[in-house]
Amino acid sequence: MTLTTTRPSSTAAPVARKPAPSRRARVPYAFLAPGLLLFTLFLAAPIVYAGYLSLRKVKVSGLGLGSKSRTEVWAGLSNYTRSMTDPEWLPSVYRILGYGLVVVPAMLGLALLMALLLDAGRTRPGFSGFARISIFLPYAVPAVVASLLWGFLYLPRVSPFVYTLDKLGIHAPELLSSSWVLYAVANVAVWGGTGFNMIVLYTALRAVPTSLYESARIDGASELAIAWRIKIPIVLPSLIMTFVFSMIATLQVFAEPMTLKPLSNTISFTWTPLMKVYRDAFVRNDIYAAAATSVVIAVATFVLSFGFLKLVGRRAFNQEES
Amino acid sequence: MYKKLAPVLATLTAAALFTSACSSSGDKSDDAATSTEKVALTYWSWAPNMDKVVEGWNSTHPNIQVTVNKQDGGDPAVTKLLTAIKAGSGAPDVMQAEYQKIPTLVSADALADIGKEAGSLKDKFPAAAWNAVTLGSEAVYGVPQDSGPLMFFYRSDIFEKNKLQAPKTWDDYAAAAATIHKANPKQYLGTFSASDAGLFAGLAQQAGASWWGVNGDSWTVNINDAATQKVAGYWGGLVEKGVIDNKPMYTPEWNAALNDGTQVGWVSAVWAPGVLEGSAKDTKGKWKAAAMPQWDAAGPATGNWGGSATSVTSQSKHPKQAAEFVAWLNSDPAALKLLAGTANVYPAANDATSVLTTPPAFFADQADFYTIAAEAAKVTKPFTYGPNVNVAYSAFNDAFGKAAESKKAAAFTESLVTMQKATVDDMKNSGFTVAG
Amino acid sequence: MRTSKTATTLLLLGAAYCLFPVIWVLIASSKSSGELFSTFTLAPSTHLFDNLADLSGYRDGLYWRWMANTALYAGVGAAVSTFISAMSGYALAKFEFPGKGFVFNVILAGVLVPGVILAIPQYLLLAKVGLTNTYWAVLLPSFISPYGIYLARIFAAAAVPGEILEASRIDGAGDWRTFARVVLPMMRTGLVTVFLFQFVAIWNNFMLPYIMLGNDKLYPLTVGLNGLLNQGASQPSMYTAVVTGALVSIIPLIALFLTLQRYWQVDLAAGGVKA
Repeated sequence: MTLTTTRPSSTAAPVARKPAPSRRARVPYAFLAPGLLLFTLFLAAPIVYAGYLSLRKVKVSGLGLGSKSRTEVWAGLSNYTRSMTDPEWLPSVYRILGYGLVVVPAMLGLALLMALLLDAGRTRPGFSGFARISIFLPYAVPAVVASLLWGFLYLPRVSPFVYTLDKLGIHAPELLSSSWVLYAVANVAVWGGTGFNMIVLYTALRAVPTSLYESARIDGASELAIAWRIKIPIVLPSLIMTFVFSMIATLQVFAEPMTLKPLSNTISFTWTPLMKVYRDAFVRNDIYAAAATSVVIAVATFVLSFGFLKLVGRRAFNQEES
Repeated sequence: MYKKLAPVLATLTAAALFTSACSSSGDKSDDAATSTEKVALTYWSWAPNMDKVVEGWNSTHPNIQVTVNKQDGGDPAVTKLLTAIKAGSGAPDVMQAEYQKIPTLVSADALADIGKEAGSLKDKFPAAAWNAVTLGSEAVYGVPQDSGPLMFFYRSDIFEKNKLQAPKTWDDYAAAAATIHKANPKQYLGTFSASDAGLFAGLAQQAGASWWGVNGDSWTVNINDAATQKVAGYWGGLVEKGVIDNKPMYTPEWNAALNDGTQVGWVSAVWAPGVLEGSAKDTKGKWKAAAMPQWDAAGPATGNWGGSATSVTSQSKHPKQAAEFVAWLNSDPAALKLLAGTANVYPAANDATSVLTTPPAFFADQADFYTIAAEAAKVTKPFTYGPNVNVAYSAFNDAFGKAAESKKAAAFTESLVTMQKATVDDMKNSGFTVAG
Repeated sequence: MRTSKTATTLLLLGAAYCLFPVIWVLIASSKSSGELFSTFTLAPSTHLFDNLADLSGYRDGLYWRWMANTALYAGVGAAVSTFISAMSGYALAKFEFPGKGFVFNVILAGVLVPGVILAIPQYLLLAKVGLTNTYWAVLLPSFISPYGIYLARIFAAAAVPGEILEASRIDGAGDWRTFARVVLPMMRTGLVTVFLFQFVAIWNNFMLPYIMLGNDKLYPLTVGLNGLLNQGASQPSMYTAVVTGALVSIIPLIALFLTLQRYWQVDLAAGGVKA
């Protein structure tokens, strides 16, 4: 799984090329120490602890009402088998994949489009500044609050969309009914995530030297062609990184459906895998089952993200130090 | 900046690396507490203005000072308490606990037995409420604070317009729902809310169900019994016919429907006026309260929705003083007056009738509001909760959510099979002895 | 250059989509609690200041305490986290040492772990040292940000030339001095970006404080607002307070965006911040 050490280093080398005395060898570790210590305490230790919990369970004896009737025992892999054989598990995995197929292309497509439009500079300067800030604004809104706001906008009796369509004589679909709810949740995520990705892509576009496409422009190439043939290929590494981070966020979708859940009959406690973790830990008070599902989700996330990066030839990571 | 942190981090490292179960068990010896010792207690509650009620205690008990930490309602508070119990520290001294959560909390060893301090209060409370805090044993796991007998609330103006009376039976209710919806297809007499398991449990209780039970040394689970099937089939039938709505309650949509007169009735509990006042302000003066519709008009019965006790946690270092406070809070006449008047709860204590003389503001015209409530409280059917109520309730949310969406009566009764199975499987998996 | 109508229209449509819910909150917080559910959604009213007064009056100004807490969590948390990220990122970008690849991969893996999974084990571990339900319970875990370290490494690689480090060493400056006097100033722009990311992440965090805190005087805004919304069945949700509170809660971040606009530029792949 190494991403950096297997290739020859380029610019970072000069520092290390000199034969270092032993005190010097300790310097990077000293700089890393506080970060690593906190990482160990607040990320590694809890994860290891979750792994431990996933192999444990509570054993109750009899009625379970006496004061010492509860003991924690080893559970083997039973929490894992229980989680994976839950009839709601696979549907939630498929649902999350379908959700990802909606959110990631929509969000990145929109972010790329907006970034290209901003970069093309074909709008009045005042407009593009306004648009950039406006599109970035949802990033300031916590997912819980964003979902609450959209919830108001979805529910037929309080929604301005339904009201307007109604006045026009059009029967609006119920956005939180089973056929639409996936898109309703996806929309909240797209709304919240487009701005951030747009800024990332816009920054990458700004870094492209104009000389690269000035000549194409003089030759009469359309903006569309310049975007497609020159700009997009150059920002591809950034696009790949935003893709990876969006994919991770998608697999971990939680706050949006959790907040919208009480508003409808169509979002169950196991709507996404992470919601199942939440239900087991916080509703059923079964932290052992929650830990097992967590471990499965964490492993799946690692495999998918590192696998994807390997697949695209570590292109994105190789770039950063060159 | 980072240097100042060093001691904290060092402590943390030491503690996290050697995860010895050094949970401080606390000094619980009763004699440690002398009357001159100054004691500070924390109290988790989600009732509004509880801090003002507690001021009444603090001003007269300088040596036992109680601080209220307001919680986000019953479920999050229980989750936090159970996590704190598991961790060995972090629990408050005193905790508001819904009746249905008490078996769960007792099973997790989260509550202290305060029989010595509070056992004598038994006669001050209705038998059903007292049973809920003792679980039928010798121990006392809390003192009942409030109860939530089910009642029926309706828009009297709409009923008059449709020449309807408050429904005496569930058949009447069904007929009224049909009449109202027919007269105005936008209006519904109620909604079946798949997000409120507590209400459904109360309706099953009214019909005579008791989802859990203790039989000798084993638990019984009867969620899919005849009484609950009758209730599920009844509401499923109304939803299938389309005469009541199928959307959850406590949403902006529901608030709007109450406000604009499309929801014209609510099967709820004695605390409903407070919710209606907050959710349907525009309709003040148009609502009336009535006893619940009955399955058998000759033998009136009702169920419970909500209601809670005040318990001392097993982590409290001052259980004796905490128990003293709990007893005062829920049985002292001055405290009952504060509870009813300031914290807006319907006290469980028998004496409560003396402090509940004027009807709630939202029902100002209905002088007999608390008489109806008292009648309802008297006919509350017995109901036993089990140690995994949350599993059953979350299974209810998911299964009945699907059923309500499908609008098929058959799906409602089938959902009970799912609930029963989820509940029994979970108990067996934890090692509870479950009969059958 | 010519302006294009299509480009302008598309951008404004995008802006409208993103602004719409925010405009909705603005309108909704001008309504009284009755109007919120009875008048047309987009019809503004005149009760904004009443609602603000009600919000301020809620339990003796508890909302403002939440606001101050949030500022403390986000400000201190992001500052410490940025400093630690800078040290780690500098070490990873500018030194070769055994275990470097492993450390970087582990930190990268840390980016992938969702907070929901960490919350309970973190609680159980902090409870062992009695730190739950304190400011530290929220602050300490937010001091570490794998994403911040990842960004800081990119910025350090791009913004700090190796020759300057050499020069500083030849001048006899110690490693710490080099870092404080040379590296930090060069990374400044990037570190402001790291700070902003972590600030927003902590400001918007819900799960961690929700689990860690039992005392509502320590709550940040997200947890406090959630509490106003979920009062339990026997209490009505305080929608007017929630909506007004939501509006007020995003104002500081909007101000931050507008004043520090030029730092909101991050290149995940090609390295460095173009200021």
